[in-house]
Amino acid sequence: MIEIHQLGKSFAGQRLFQSIDLEVARGEAVALIGPSGSGKSTLLRCINGLETFDSGHIVVDGVTLQPGDGSAQREAVRKIRRQVGMVFQQFNLFPHLTVLDNITLAPQRVLGVPRAVAAEQARQLLERVHLSHRIDRYPEQLSGGEQQRVAIARALAMKPQAMLFDEPTSALDPERVGEVLRVIAELVDDGMTTVIATHEMDFAAEVATRVAVLDAGNIVEVGPPDHIFRNPTQERTRAFLKRVLRRHAPSAAELVDPNALPADSASSSLPPAVQ
Amino acid sequence: MGQASGRRWTALLRILWVALAALLFGSAARAETSTLDQIKQRGTLRWGADREGGAPYVFPDPATPDRSIGFEVDLAAALARELGVKAEMAQNAWDALIPALERGDFDLALNGIEVTPVRQQRVLFSRPYYVYAEQLVVRSDEQRINGMADLKGKKVGTLSGAVAQAMLEQIGGVEVKTYAGQGEPYQDLALRRIDAVLMDVPIAAYYAKPNAKLRYVGEAVGEGLYAIALRKNDLALQQAVDGALERLLRSGELKRIYEKWDLWDARQDKLLAALPAATAATGPASAPATAPAVSKAGTATLEQSRAAPLISFMPTLLRGAGVTLLISTTSMVLAIVLGLVLALMRAYGSRPLRGLATGYIEVYRGTPLLIQLFILYYGLPNLGLTLTSLVAAWLGLGMNYAAYEAEIYRAGLSAVPRGQLEAALSLGMTRAQGLRRIVLPQAFRIALPGITNDFIALFKDSSLVSIIALVELTKAYNMLASSTLRFFELGIVVAVMYFAMSYPLSLLARRLERSLQGGRR
Repeated sequence: MIEIHQLGKSFAGQRLFQSIDLEVARGEAVALIGPSGSGKSTLLRCINGLETFDSGHIVVDGVTLQPGDGSAQREAVRKIRRQVGMVFQQFNLFPHLTVLDNITLAPQRVLGVPRAVAAEQARQLLERVHLSHRIDRYPEQLSGGEQQRVAIARALAMKPQAMLFDEPTSALDPERVGEVLRVIAELVDDGMTTVIATHEMDFAAEVATRVAVLDAGNIVEVGPPDHIFRNPTQERTRAFLKRVLRRHAPSAAELVDPNALPADSASSSLPPAVQ
Repeated sequence: MGQASGRRWTALLRILWVALAALLFGSAARAETSTLDQIKQRGTLRWGADREGGAPYVFPDPATPDRSIGFEVDLAAALARELGVKAEMAQNAWDALIPALERGDFDLALNGIEVTPVRQQRVLFSRPYYVYAEQLVVRSDEQRINGMADLKGKKVGTLSGAVAQAMLEQIGGVEVKTYAGQGEPYQDLALRRIDAVLMDVPIAAYYAKPNAKLRYVGEAVGEGLYAIALRKNDLALQQAVDGALERLLRSGELKRIYEKWDLWDARQDKLLAALPAATAATGPASAPATAPAVSKAGTATLEQSRAAPLISFMPTLLRGAGVTLLISTTSMVLAIVLGLVLALMRAYGSRPLRGLATGYIEVYRGTPLLIQLFILYYGLPNLGLTLTSLVAAWLGLGMNYAAYEAEIYRAGLSAVPRGQLEAALSLGMTRAQGLRRIVLPQAFRIALPGITNDFIALFKDSSLVSIIALVELTKAYNMLASSTLRFFELGIVVAVMYFAMSYPLSLLARRLERSLQGGRR
């Protein structure tokens, strides 16, 4: 579904990616983990053309995206964006539109769906993210978690083949993280191809089919969560996990319990000198 | 005679202030030492005139523009010499010469001021120093106009506030186009924007006579007198000035000055005829301001307008307000649309487009609106493009304000987070759709207070277009006030009219802001 081949990218003289290879099969959920600044967000943004790259290529659902930003690339990006939805860390809901209009705008303008049909579809999507009662509100009237769930519904309204989540819970209050992760987990359960950049190790362990560890612009290790969290082969993976996790193997029970969410555990696992 | 001041808006402020000062303090307060004594002590005669009024009265020397020349400069010098002092000119907008005189800015006003009953109520006039008349001028190939009687239904240009304007209005059915400057009416005549020009003989002699495209029609009509205006209580100065003028007339020096400027004609013999038979000093009672041949048509109109109730000025003022409203709203629409295009070019365009937009904005912001209007209206005809005054005003104001709108939009655009456009793009929208549906609505809400502000500023700046022969509210005020000298009451009326138009606009904008904001509450 999504193939990244030998992706290289520099920015302002800095080498961001050396050569990244990653394949995401249909129905698979891949979690990108790694320290801040390791390139997780940038990699996601390269997939749907919000960032350009310098070498290698990306194939999404048969559409090949080459380096640069010429007209061929723009055409490829346009096709890819039709197939791939994206959810941002800062939600990026449209503040001047209601929840309903946030969701129906793109289907109407891009796909030409009649308003009534788009609205009906929006109602179903809001039900799916448990927000039917918020349909006529404006974004700033919603909590962060609610906004992010609307953003997910907005992306789903385009009926994407795959979803990209760019640290979807990083801007949320800890008590709001669970509701958003639950919606994402449900999507993955329904078979949505998903790539998620996240700091939620418990969630990655629970939901992802595979976990990719990024460090300094390279994928240092890819594998099933069990393998990555219990038996990491790379020293850099171990170092990273040691920093963010108290224990290696989180249990499924901890995911359901909001108090055990890694937002807390991550900070409390920092060495005293850093705290 | 009128004035070519491109500074009417500052003149207006000044007029209001002067009128207020005159009202509050009166002119009698300064009678302690007579002006004549002050002149002698000072050793200079300060005379007020507007060098922008134009040739041949007082105007910048083409060779050294800092220096003023003109027949009135020569006259003032001779006059000062007769009084045993030196002449010193004080620049003042022609419209405001009398209020400034009353305020004490100078000793006397000497600048083609026609003797009219209205003015006689306000100032003391010296013996007349010139007998003027109005000369009708048409294009050389003009067939239809052979005299004043043929002017009905024609467009005729003249100076704002001059006696000729009143004469034209007296005829009835004449479309009178008034100008602030003296050269412009003849230029418009040559450009076929108007059909004829009626102005004082000295002006015609200087501007129209040498122009091969124009010709005189018949004899000059409607004789009147130029005299020196003095403060009401300066009787001693009046006596001295009259004595000096008499000596200049008798010695033939005045005639030589006029001959130098090609202004001497048979009419001037009346100046000599009006001199007293004896050489006895001319008393104030025999002030020759009541001398013959003041244009009857003009004075009748002026006298009526002076006594008229304020309501009688309303049609003129309302018409002016209508023009103001029309120009400001159409210009604002142009400014908003063009400004948006410029802002988008600057924010999202390719490099050449960005450069073009930046250049436009910098040039339009960096040059005065007045110059832009002059170029559009008086300059473009040189390139074969003759715009009507309404179109020139619309383009001038609209294109100027577009530069400011563009900057306001740019601030609005850059205040919308990048993530907004990225979200739109990631949903499959094109860049254009994202801008139109997502970024612009948010930018507009941020920019709205600035846009409102600019509209109100444009609304008031619209008074500038009076320099391209449009009678909007300020111009209407100027015309009425300078002919009736009712600067104060008319000023208040006009200020109220401006406010009555701009305040609802503020309210409307505030409501719009609230409703845009309210959508999010």
